[in-house]
Amino acid sequence: MEKYEKLEKVGEGTYGKVYKAQDKTTGQLVALKKTRLEMDEEGIPPTALREVSLLQMLSQSIYVVRLLCVEHVDKNGKPLLYLVFEYLDTDLKKFIDSHRRGPNPRPLPVSVIQSFLYQLCKGVAHCHSHGVLHRDLKPQNLLVDKEKGILKIADLGLGRAFTIPLKSYTHEIVTLWYRAPEVLLGSTHYSTGVDMWSVGCIFAEMVRRQALFAGDSELQQLLHIFRLLGTPTEEQWPGVKSLRDWHEYPQWKPQSLQRAVPSLEPEGLDLLSRMLQYDPANRISAKAALEHPYFDTLDKSQF
Amino acid sequence: MEDFDLENPLTSSKSQEQDQTDMISELFASESDHMPSESHFQSLKSQHSLVSLQRDATSSIVKARFSCNIDPFVAYLAMNYLNRFVSRRGMLSAKPWILKLLSVSCLSLAAKMMKTSLSLTDFQMEEGIIFDSQTIQRMELLILGALNWRMRSITPFAFLHFFLCFFERNDPPLKQSLKARATDLIFKAQNEIKILKYKPSIVTASALLSASHELSPMQFPCFLQAISSCPYINKEELLDCCNLMQDVVMDGYGSIVFDRASSSDKAVSALDCDFLTSESENTNNMSSRSDIIRSEAEIKRPKLSDFCCNETFHQLSQQMQRC
Repeated sequence: MEKYEKLEKVGEGTYGKVYKAQDKTTGQLVALKKTRLEMDEEGIPPTALREVSLLQMLSQSIYVVRLLCVEHVDKNGKPLLYLVFEYLDTDLKKFIDSHRRGPNPRPLPVSVIQSFLYQLCKGVAHCHSHGVLHRDLKPQNLLVDKEKGILKIADLGLGRAFTIPLKSYTHEIVTLWYRAPEVLLGSTHYSTGVDMWSVGCIFAEMVRRQALFAGDSELQQLLHIFRLLGTPTEEQWPGVKSLRDWHEYPQWKPQSLQRAVPSLEPEGLDLLSRMLQYDPANRISAKAALEHPYFDTLDKSQF
Repeated sequence: MEDFDLENPLTSSKSQEQDQTDMISELFASESDHMPSESHFQSLKSQHSLVSLQRDATSSIVKARFSCNIDPFVAYLAMNYLNRFVSRRGMLSAKPWILKLLSVSCLSLAAKMMKTSLSLTDFQMEEGIIFDSQTIQRMELLILGALNWRMRSITPFAFLHFFLCFFERNDPPLKQSLKARATDLIFKAQNEIKILKYKPSIVTASALLSASHELSPMQFPCFLQAISSCPYINKEELLDCCNLMQDVVMDGYGSIVFDRASSSDKAVSALDCDFLTSESENTNNMSSRSDIIRSEAEIKRPKLSDFCCNETFHQLSQQMQRC
């Protein structure tokens, strides 16, 4: 670890502090994530071994933040693991904020939204094809290189050994804004659709420059969704009323999605509505999304 | 979520939908990252001592597989780690205890990756040396660093399904037998140091071809034709490796039938259980080790056709070499 110089704390990841650091010899900027994994009598913990090697495999994609190496330091004779990632200067949350607030508020250029969404779908398709769900996609987890117009998925593939559900390492409440309705309703057999719901919410947020569904509790989050998309029915979503946390909710009629994203063109609106389908089985897959006409005007050769 | 199966190394759970075409191209694109480097193979050729060191380290894993009843896939994966580690870091030192530590740590990592429980103590008792857990842990970290935590190795098993699809006859029990026999050959071939220079996919293709040559000779010509016209396959490498695989096949029972031109060659590849359990034999074989490399340079590798009773294989092999 002496080879890195910590420059500043850049965030509180779900599983620990994240530092911006610099490789003293090469000058390369990196993001250091300390894991709370300690060695036991059995050596390196099996779950950590499997998760980090999975992450290593996934990070071979250019749409996923690259894991450069894993360093260990001895702390009282027990090694602690640090994950060393490539460093990107900002994330999508800060990027959207900079277009909403500050000296020059303006919408995100349509071409940027298109390109970021495409790269996001590429990354999600990559994870899904390797059997991995992200489960916590949100603008803070999407790192952005403003100059090059690159977007990459971060905080990935780390399940049991790293993440703590609902409360993060710093006891900050994990955001519910991008959580799929089946997860909010207590479904345990969720699949790739949970990520596509999040992608839909992120898409809408890039267009609106504010969150589509900003609930502060699981119930409030559901009500936000129901108010816009209508309270789901058995016809729309077979089995919804048998989900663990289903209750009787006020009956709302679906609103026009366009009212939530007035500036979005018809093809974009169609793609968004396919991402926000109630029944996870009807939700568009990441791979299919890449073929959607919304991206017809995008120069795909650059990806 | 983070399951690891040697037959399916790119996916971490079977329940998700997979895109086979994308997967296959990714397998072929990254298989070379999971094998010892080319330069390592060159240094094996030039340094006799390195060969014998590598052999000692691998032999303890092979031995463990039998004596401690370790899952053969775990042993295979451990051997893959060991070969890659040695190719990147060198043998550290010739001290026997370091080699033992390396074998123990590779086995420990492989067992953890494959969620298999493994008594390292049993294995170490067998080896006559017991390391404390901190030492093993340090070695584990050293190996992980050298391999850059790329522990989901792409091995020949990953290509079995892909190449079996080239087998024309729709006969599931036959395909199952071919797969079983090829798996067996892949295990056996790992003890043959020369196999290390071939890409995992080439090893699989050769193993399946050898299996079909044995179990279903009528389909063999078509199978060979189909596999060698696969765009991912280099025909020349395939034929070379097929020849080597044929040696592996012969090792099981061939020595009785054939008076082999290069008997020292046999000694090298016979790193199997019988070879290891007998001390006296072991010494004999060690003395012939230095001949091995020389024999490789001087004697031309016996061709498949030298052993092969089946004319078709021979003719086709000749044909393939010409075209």
